[in-house]
Amino acid sequence: MSKLTQRKSLDYIKKEYVRTRTMPGSWYLSSYKFKFNIAHHQPMLEKLKEKKLIANQCSGCNRVFFPPRLVCGQCLVKPDRWVDIRDTARVATYAIAYLKNAETGEVEEKPMVLVQHDGADTCSIAELAPGVNVKDTYIGMPIKAHWSETATGGLMDIEYYDPIEDDAKDVK
Amino acid sequence: MEKVGIVGFNQVKMYSDANYGRYEMIFEAVRGALDKAGLKKKDITTVISCTNDYYDGRTISNLFTVEVGGGYLVDESKCEMDGAHAVLYGLMRILSGNHKLAVIWSGSMPSCYPYHSARLYETDPTWERPLGYVNDITAGGFQMRAYMEKFGVSKEEIARVAVKNRKNATKNPLALAEAQNANLTVEDVLNSEIYSDPVTELMVAQPCDSVAALLLAPERQALKITDNPVWITGVGYSQEAYYLGERDLSISKSMEIAGKTAFNAAGIKDPKNEIDVAELFEAYAHEELILAEALGLADKGKAANLNSEINGDLAINPSGGALGGNPPCATGLIRIIEAAKQLRGEANGYQVKGAKKAIASGQIGMCAQNNILFALEGSD
Ligand SMILES: [Zn+2]
Repeated sequence: MSKLTQRKSLDYIKKEYVRTRTMPGSWYLSSYKFKFNIAHHQPMLEKLKEKKLIANQCSGCNRVFFPPRLVCGQCLVKPDRWVDIRDTARVATYAIAYLKNAETGEVEEKPMVLVQHDGADTCSIAELAPGVNVKDTYIGMPIKAHWSETATGGLMDIEYYDPIEDDAKDVK
Repeated sequence: MEKVGIVGFNQVKMYSDANYGRYEMIFEAVRGALDKAGLKKKDITTVISCTNDYYDGRTISNLFTVEVGGGYLVDESKCEMDGAHAVLYGLMRILSGNHKLAVIWSGSMPSCYPYHSARLYETDPTWERPLGYVNDITAGGFQMRAYMEKFGVSKEEIARVAVKNRKNATKNPLALAEAQNANLTVEDVLNSEIYSDPVTELMVAQPCDSVAALLLAPERQALKITDNPVWITGVGYSQEAYYLGERDLSISKSMEIAGKTAFNAAGIKDPKNEIDVAELFEAYAHEELILAEALGLADKGKAANLNSEINGDLAINPSGGALGGNPPCATGLIRIIEAAKQLRGEANGYQVKGAKKAIASGQIGMCAQNNILFALEGSD
């Protein structure tokens, strides 16, 4: 190993640690304001009021982003076109989260999905309808946006996604 | 690239709740590395640390580590990613020609803060957080499911990685005791508590307390310190889109690019046959397979068929990997230390016979968004 003279033992570094004490503390910085530009996705929010979806498209690589992106990372330009996409989608992948209620101790099974809308190249994080059995979920499952009764032009206008009939034929 | 050598290292044993104060743990890692190499404080010319303000409970968290980390009145800086990124930073400081000895140290104590809850705040506050509860583990679930579906890999094949690494960890005295298990079976892994279906408890690299330190020196200086430095022959580094929905989670494009860059620099043409040992930072069992495939160590979807045991075709994570203990900020640095141990023939109990070339990786972000790969070579 080393050519230089070394200390015989490293024990001296450790010997004072008989025990440690922990002191409860917090590091709560009260609040934060997230600033973001709404101009770039205003057209999408306007369309949400009509319960319709649009995505933005990069003219450099033609990728269609939903949710819309401010910048295409691949081309480092702002996507400059708006295109219509459907409110039907597919489950791209999913995982089941187990959320423990701090008060009751009850554990809630919550499937988290990445959904890819028909016509879009990217996915968004979403939840499935509350009644869907998580065991019946699969990748590629066709789903449809469940709109809130009165769409207000916000992200929460899509409450969750309902499964729809899968008419795809299995390809062997 | 001018030759830069690893001339020493030291790592504090991993504990789930260490009986250490934060300062003492850093001191033990750094002082121990210097002592093992026979060096003194005055030999240090630059210090690069890797910690995180949140994990340390204070802002600009490298300020309080000046004394214990060896940074007193020397060039000092922090990177807030993985310890492996700090090694790249230290390497660049040496390559600047201004430094003779770089100390790189990293690590934290998750027994002091809720690690997985903290990672809830990694997603986009406007586009992702309002839509669902996604932390690192849920994202790991997305990734594992996407990988299984795309390549038809079974849960059992993924559980085998956890069995192998946790078995290997039993031979590593510095591994986390809770992670070590010589008698683990695939069934045990699949039947352990579900964290985020399909990911179970034993497939997750458990966050734990530890600090590790590494010493880098330019060639001339390195040969004055030791007869067998470990040479850094190549580094590659890349990252993918921030939004999970924009990525193909079944593969790792960033590791593919990192691998190509590092192999190119190191002159490695056939990684599968030229590399003797790989220490990969797998935050989840399935990530070891995805990363190995991205590096060309196996065909896509076929890494589970590779014999990656200590005496197998290509040893992957003989130390137990991150599944043998995952101290946030230190895990990637520990991979480099473990690879260096293999090349110096110092991996007692889990030594890969005749290891000459090794790779070690670090990562950060959800689903290994950002990957860094080091190619290392031992001295003859
Ligand atoms: Zn583009």
